[in-house]
Amino acid sequence: MARISIDPVTRIEGHLRIDVEVDGGTVNKAWASCTMWRGLEAILRGRDAREGWVFAQRFCGVCTTVHAMASVRAVEDALSLDIPPNAQYIRNLILIGHALHDHIVHFYHLSALDWVDIMEIPKADPAKAASIAEGSSSWTGNSRRELEAVQNKVKGLVSSGQLGIFSHGYWGHPAMRLSPELNLILFNHYLQALEFQRKSCQVVAILGGKTPHIQNLAVGGVMNAINLNSLATMNMDRLGMLQAILEDLIPFVQQVFLVDNCLLAATYPEYFKIGRGVSNYLAVPDLPLDAKATKFDLPGGVIMDGNLSSVRPILDWKDEGFRKAVTEDSTHAWYQGGGPLPPYKGETTPDYTDFKEDAKYTWVKAPRYNGSPMQVGPLANVLVGYATGHALTRKWTDTAFNGIAAVHGLKVTPNDMQSTMGRYLARSIRSSMLADLALEHLQLLTTNILNGDDTTYNVPQFPAGEIMGMGMHEAPRGALSHWVVIDKGTFSNYQAVVPTTWNASPRDEKGVPGPYETSLIGSPVVDPEKPLEVLRTVHSFDPCMACSCHTLDATGEEIAQVKVQ
Amino acid sequence: MRISAPIAIVPVSIIGLGNVFLGDDGFGPLVIETFRCEYAVESAAVEVLDLGTPGLDLAPYLYGRKLVIIVDAVHADLPAGTLSIFSEDDFVSQRAKLRITGHDPGLWESLAHLRLAGEAPQELIVLGVNPESCGFAEQISQEVFCTASEAAAMIAQLLKERGIVCDLLKKAVKPNLWWLPVAQIKDAAAA
Repeated sequence: MARISIDPVTRIEGHLRIDVEVDGGTVNKAWASCTMWRGLEAILRGRDAREGWVFAQRFCGVCTTVHAMASVRAVEDALSLDIPPNAQYIRNLILIGHALHDHIVHFYHLSALDWVDIMEIPKADPAKAASIAEGSSSWTGNSRRELEAVQNKVKGLVSSGQLGIFSHGYWGHPAMRLSPELNLILFNHYLQALEFQRKSCQVVAILGGKTPHIQNLAVGGVMNAINLNSLATMNMDRLGMLQAILEDLIPFVQQVFLVDNCLLAATYPEYFKIGRGVSNYLAVPDLPLDAKATKFDLPGGVIMDGNLSSVRPILDWKDEGFRKAVTEDSTHAWYQGGGPLPPYKGETTPDYTDFKEDAKYTWVKAPRYNGSPMQVGPLANVLVGYATGHALTRKWTDTAFNGIAAVHGLKVTPNDMQSTMGRYLARSIRSSMLADLALEHLQLLTTNILNGDDTTYNVPQFPAGEIMGMGMHEAPRGALSHWVVIDKGTFSNYQAVVPTTWNASPRDEKGVPGPYETSLIGSPVVDPEKPLEVLRTVHSFDPCMACSCHTLDATGEEIAQVKVQ
Repeated sequence: MRISAPIAIVPVSIIGLGNVFLGDDGFGPLVIETFRCEYAVESAAVEVLDLGTPGLDLAPYLYGRKLVIIVDAVHADLPAGTLSIFSEDDFVSQRAKLRITGHDPGLWESLAHLRLAGEAPQELIVLGVNPESCGFAEQISQEVFCTASEAAAMIAQLLKERGIVCDLLKKAVKPNLWWLPVAQIKDAAAA
């Protein structure tokens, strides 16, 4: 039996340590540990509730927008304050721009190299690669010339012997199986993705004033001035600029990102049988279509035990079932007390003990939904949409299934989606949906402005007594909720239950493990020194620990240490 | 409905990096806000940005630029509050074993990606301060806090040396250092 520790697990956002016990080439026990302390909730206590979002968006350096959004929604919920339709659409467009950016970066820059072997690229035949790529997509950036140029760059890199940031890949691992041509095609898109992640940032910056850390939010709406006759405000020129950027960005999402995931799925079909993990799913409704947030473009819901027909829709943010169901337990986390406690009563007092696998071993608490661990993220989002018959989800899921079948006839079902590969595929399906919705919400905004509505903000009024509120957002990594208690306009408690807390959850007071931990049980590990299979499954969740524990450390570790005992 | 062309790339980026809640790690955001309040630059030519701790999301702000100035805490064997200017070569060479606080993996990975894509900045300069402490704290150390105007002046000098217009404002605007405790800002104003 071998014990493997991987620390940190991600190349950029560190602070996640995974320990697994491997017996006979298979994982039989797993622990997920977050190695940073969270402290921001302490900073928020005592602050003016109108400025909480400014601090909350510093929870993380990458997903800044999502915390800003959940924070204003939480305060608005406490005040029962509606926001104008323009504000909903502007917020929605920002959320879509951010999510597309995040999903593109995750797939290409943070995880593609778990599947793509750079060392195989020099062997590729660019003409054959161009013909494969052009046969599977109408994208114009797959020409033989373009692929040859990328291949030459990689040849230069390999022959120099100085791989730089690519020197730590598991090149030549037996679980790397893409043909040289597919490796070349995907790496070409890896480089092209740099331009498209930039374009999705522009969407956020035009509306949010700046990114990261948007400047345009307010409790009660947004601070974008709308005046079609002014050069300095939101006008037809800005709306046209957004349209132009989206028209450039959308083909990359729907004809490259989605198609690449289909090619990957067709090459690695065994990953539809690996990494299922916790099969309870939670997604929250998002992209509201009206001022009162009664209708949404992204459906929410709860699925238990992997049974899609059991789906309970979450129709809106007032959903009492959700509000009553969420608790957090710290029996196995480095905090005082145990639990489980509802977020409004949540405590965050540190109690560090070092890594003790049978006791406390992480800075992440264990959130539970009616006592059960839940998986959140694009897969939950897509499964809930599919199960509730949501037309746009079905359209893009079926497009993906047909795309995979077109390669060598592999038939994928919604049940197969509950897997490591399903989580990858779901991210590209969700992105394709969001790309359609971006144009729809831009149209809604334009139409509303042309109809003469220029309001973007309703003034909040804080009552004298204590009020409580919860703001939710279906963020790129899944269901996010901020829970606030406000007394005379300032926060007396603030708890954020973030997506990675759901997924990276440790065992709870009953000893039930969280989604990362469960998903690794049964995973093959061919070479304990190079646990590529484990990384693929953990990376499929898009782990990002910064907000699940709320502060960055300054040690700047660069390379994962894999220790085998 | 295609009315306007996509946005042109601004040729120069001045980027503050750092987490405002980690003590001296907040040097980047502090200097960016100070520079913005003490100098005027042509907005079509120079972008002045506090990017926090963006990791790989730094890449869009380095993409295709002529000049990038990164402002950050840099660990070196020097007294706290010492300002230094480094070129990209200083970091690459063995001579300076420097470590930017927390964010260097994002910076070097972003640069490596952009180099492969042929879109790396033509010149990269790091303006660093040696920090006293980058632990979880609401306050920045006095040694680092009092260097802000000097650091802003160094940025202005770097721009002028490259023929980029950068004017000292006759009357500085009051900086918005919303993340710092009120007492620290008051003490500074009194001093």
